Amino acid sequence: MNAEDPTLSHIGRSIAEIRAELGVDPVSVEAIRDPAVYELEREKIFRRAWLKVATAWEIPEIGDYKVKEMPVADTSVLIVRGKDDKIRAFHNVCTHRGNKVVPNGDFESFGRSRAGVVTCRFHGWVFGTDGPLRSVPMEEGFGKIDKSCLGLREIACDTWEGFVFINFADPPEQSLLDYLGDFAKLFGGYPYAESTTIFRYSTVLECNWKVAHQAFSEGYHVPTIHAGSLPGFRGVEHSDFKLMGPHASSTIYGAGMDTAASTAAFAGVLHGAEPHRPRPDQLPPGINPTRRTDFQFELPNLFPNLIIHLSAGCGYPGMSFFTHQFWPLDHGRTLWEGINYFRPARNAAERVAQLHVNALHRNAWLEDTATMEDTFTGIRSGAIDQMYLMDQEFLIRHAVRVHDDFLAA
Amino acid sequence: MTDDKSLPSGFEQFADLAARWARPTEGERSQIRWAASKQDFADFYAAFMPKLDEALALLADQSLEGLSGPTANLFELVCAFAEATPHHELYGGSAEVPFSFSARRFVPAHRDRPSASPVLR
Ligand code: FES
Ligand SMILES: [Fe+2]
Repeated sequence: MNAEDPTLSHIGRSIAEIRAELGVDPVSVEAIRDPAVYELEREKIFRRAWLKVATAWEIPEIGDYKVKEMPVADTSVLIVRGKDDKIRAFHNVCTHRGNKVVPNGDFESFGRSRAGVVTCRFHGWVFGTDGPLRSVPMEEGFGKIDKSCLGLREIACDTWEGFVFINFADPPEQSLLDYLGDFAKLFGGYPYAESTTIFRYSTVLECNWKVAHQAFSEGYHVPTIHAGSLPGFRGVEHSDFKLMGPHASSTIYGAGMDTAASTAAFAGVLHGAEPHRPRPDQLPPGINPTRRTDFQFELPNLFPNLIIHLSAGCGYPGMSFFTHQFWPLDHGRTLWEGINYFRPARNAAERVAQLHVNALHRNAWLEDTATMEDTFTGIRSGAIDQMYLMDQEFLIRHAVRVHDDFLAA
Repeated sequence: MTDDKSLPSGFEQFADLAARWARPTEGERSQIRWAASKQDFADFYAAFMPKLDEALALLADQSLEGLSGPTANLFELVCAFAEATPHHELYGGSAEVPFSFSARRFVPAHRDRPSASPVLR
């Protein structure tokens, strides 16, 4: 596993190379400030790009489903594992008169259909979990109705490494695998699906989605913003810069920090446990190719709105990986979702150690999110027209460029 | 939640701490933590830190599914401790993470019960 995959050698870049490719000029904040840009983004990004909406292990059994509200596309999405074990996505919209087939009171909810059908509560139309309209109460009262055309409206859906993606385009311009491109090669092969223990937080931020996304896309802020939760942090190094079409990534190496006494005790439980110990050997070969021992995590930007920090237990103790997503609710409102993934605890000590690590990371996220609404207010003020980006902020520079390309397409 | 917070033998001296802090859910524990003072965190830390390794050793023999009675109470107490220590060790006794977003606006959307599915249903 130590040799870098030769087919990926073209994606690794030095700082000089990313400067040459992406430039060093300041970047306009107009796309954050202008509400009209958001309307374009909905059409040209969120209705064209592949969007991660679930993991396969969230809906592990036949009949399991997830409902996800997606205001960015003016819809509610039903992601369901059918009787044939295939995961499909549908508009959660009844073809009778448009009611939600599965009502839900939150941005995400889960359920299970044991009978392989979902029933609209309005008038009782019954749909199979694979889509077709199965039955209509008092069908004869319609005079003329062709049930075969009235199945749930399907949305393109595909899975990569257990991450479930949808695409609102009909049909999508590219397959999921083509869209992921070299990202799928770089990040493929890690046993993501083993990390079924999750701690998920969400919050609605009064800021544009790109402000939140950008704040989580760089490590420049770590020594300052995280001075409280990561005391004595001795520098953060971004290197191994990778550009992969619309996606980009880099590696965070770190020279460590002061470890509090309680953290040392909890970390000891996880570091000494086979499922939770640091597993640099499980990293895909293109990530941390020299197997540096100060590897913290890989920080990619999977366009448009997903970050998968792959750490394999090397950064936060016991943490397999963690993800962020940024869902626009409106030009100035964003649903942020942060999820920490661990392998299941085998006993109560491992569980409580995971709770400690989760609390540390949640607290660091609280420090991150503190900046976002203020940043958006600042940008809206008109006081600045540009942002200045240093090397460790190259993911932002790259995402801005991809964003502009999508809007221009 | 049960009012009986009796603890396994060897941990009886923490009965008062358990009554105050031990709760089964993250939401309940957060409410207690948000209301705690600098002195509360310092007292919890001073009392329990010397017994943490012993408690973890005991819990390492406990499966999550079978937790009940005094062992479950100890588990809940250590859960509260795991979430409280940063406030003493890192945040100077502040119940809030300094310079942070409001923790009350962060919505946990995972199951609290360790024996349950990690996914909310
Ligand atoms: S709207 Fe669904 S059955 Fe009428
Ligand atoms: Fe951060």
